[in-house]
Amino acid sequence: MSVLSVQDLKVHYRTDRGVAQAVRGASFEVPEGQVVGVVGESGCGKTTLARAIMGVMPKTASIAGGKLLFDGVDLVSLSPKDLAARRWRDIAFIPQSAMNSLDPVYRVGTQIAEILIERGGMDKASAKRRAVELFDMVGLDAGRLRDFPHQYSGGMRQRAAIAMALALEPKLVIADEPVTALDVIIQRQVLDTFKDLQSRLGLSVILITHDISVVAYASDRVVVMYAGEVIEAGATAEVLKRPFHPYTMGLYKAFPELHGDGGTLVPIEGTPPNLIHPPSACAFADRCPFVEQRCREVHPPLEPVESGSLAACLRSGEADRLRVLAGEASTWLR
Amino acid sequence: MAPLIAARGVEKHFPVTRKFSEVLRGERPINRAVDGIDLTIGEGETVGLLGESGCGKTTTGRLLLKLTQPTGGTIQFAGEDLNQVKGPALKRFRQQAQLVFQNPFDALNPRFTIFRALREPLLNAGIPETEHADRMWTAMRRVRLPDVDAYYDRYPHQLSGGQLQRVVLARALVLEPRFLVADEPVSMLDVSVRAGILNVMRDVHATMGLTAVYISHDFALVRYVCARTVVMYLGKIVEDGPSAEVVERPQHPYTKALVQAVPVPDVNQSRAPLPIKGSLSQAQAPQGGCRFRDRCPYAFERCASEEPLMREIVPGHKAACHLL
Repeated sequence: MSVLSVQDLKVHYRTDRGVAQAVRGASFEVPEGQVVGVVGESGCGKTTLARAIMGVMPKTASIAGGKLLFDGVDLVSLSPKDLAARRWRDIAFIPQSAMNSLDPVYRVGTQIAEILIERGGMDKASAKRRAVELFDMVGLDAGRLRDFPHQYSGGMRQRAAIAMALALEPKLVIADEPVTALDVIIQRQVLDTFKDLQSRLGLSVILITHDISVVAYASDRVVVMYAGEVIEAGATAEVLKRPFHPYTMGLYKAFPELHGDGGTLVPIEGTPPNLIHPPSACAFADRCPFVEQRCREVHPPLEPVESGSLAACLRSGEADRLRVLAGEASTWLR
Repeated sequence: MAPLIAARGVEKHFPVTRKFSEVLRGERPINRAVDGIDLTIGEGETVGLLGESGCGKTTTGRLLLKLTQPTGGTIQFAGEDLNQVKGPALKRFRQQAQLVFQNPFDALNPRFTIFRALREPLLNAGIPETEHADRMWTAMRRVRLPDVDAYYDRYPHQLSGGQLQRVVLARALVLEPRFLVADEPVSMLDVSVRAGILNVMRDVHATMGLTAVYISHDFALVRYVCARTVVMYLGKIVEDGPSAEVVERPQHPYTKALVQAVPVPDVNQSRAPLPIKGSLSQAQAPQGGCRFRDRCPYAFERCASEEPLMREIVPGHKAACHLL
């Protein structure tokens, strides 16, 4: 059973130079009680996607097509007012920099209470009790509720942002690079807290990140985005063990390994295509070491592959062989 | 290897804005960003300065480049005391020691073409104009932007992050420095282009025999680029050794926690709780004894009374912990 079903979503931005197609027909499911990691580089559309689901897009952006089915209701068709009513209660958001979700001039406790009272309909006393409970849950000292955000460390702010997001027991939490700005030890501690709450409360989560390691650590399923499209999706263990799209294979080689000599790192040469004039065929073709003539003519559909994942590559049938080649540095150096 | 840099007991203490109660009591709190470090770097060595934000790694890098003055201790560069150099000697030092910035989008003047950005240090250093073209071309080849004509006339906003960081590196190399400090050189870049910059750095080091300090919080990156790793905690060096040794056989409890915390792209990685308590930002350096003791799961009485000194555990690998 899916909490959210993203169906052929298209999001466009108006710019001075034309319409940028930031999300170009993305589809995936968020199963109940699971963490779905969305990975990709900057500009791949992952944050735009998150904002579209939250219904908080800049004025220049618009949903140009597709559906966002949440509990059977299409969020795209809702009025801004109905959408706002669902925010925090049904769908909550954890931003990259918690400073952006915390108001610097109010005490943190006041801000959490405000959500509980304004949106949750609680009275002041029960809001206060609930705030203490929430702080307890995310591992913060309830005494710090009286502090202002600037008195918190980065890790504490992120924990406070998690507490706020969980305040009204939402069904879906969208976390946009929730630990990227943190040091490794705190990153790990915050992730552990979040994972623990997620499994205890049975939350469904969309975890947006550029870091494949964070996905490996914390997500059940993974969606790989490139140039506004989903190019691979499936169970995290499967996709990381047996990637079927050359971009996913390349991402894996581009990370330095901590243990072992790791060999030579291999960058994926080139840059993603311009989304004002996106290619009609495969968007990765110009950077792909396995490109063929047909890749520049035909758009590869997102199709099931033998591992049970989905991949959008015309050569996914040869993936076992390509994976071996992709493991060699010389393949990527051109 | 003759040491290029020898830092002895270097301290940098910053005054902290006082609270009203502290003013009344006449207290002068200080932030001991760097609190007595000894660091010897041989010519041609690559050293990774590793630690969490607030550990003093960036301040250390700035001290080594004389971008800030130490409040205690001495730093020698090629036998010269950096506290004393001024005038022409300082100008010479500035040419020999260069910095690569974290954010390539801010590091270049948006109104300068790449050509002008690269030529600026040559003009400042008074290099004869006949050498400019050659030197710039060599620097661009080194950072693997061989197609110089395609870049010279462009402005920073026309380049991608990866290209910009290569230009920033080329600008640092154009004076053929002996010493380079790079502060989180790839943390602003996308994953797919990071590898390219890291490879360029490895190459540059190998071909130029450059002495370099990379400042980073990323253990895997430090291991990839640097032969030696120095771990800092709250203004002190707690471990120092060959990178592979430090990663595979970490000695200090803090280093052990750091190694375990690094996420790896493997679903079967260990999810055991970290052997560390609290977080750095909450940790006030406790007075006297070991700074890490409040967060250390193995702390005992001696840690509170006596400060552990750096000791050699195996040849070339030192750590500061009473348990060793």
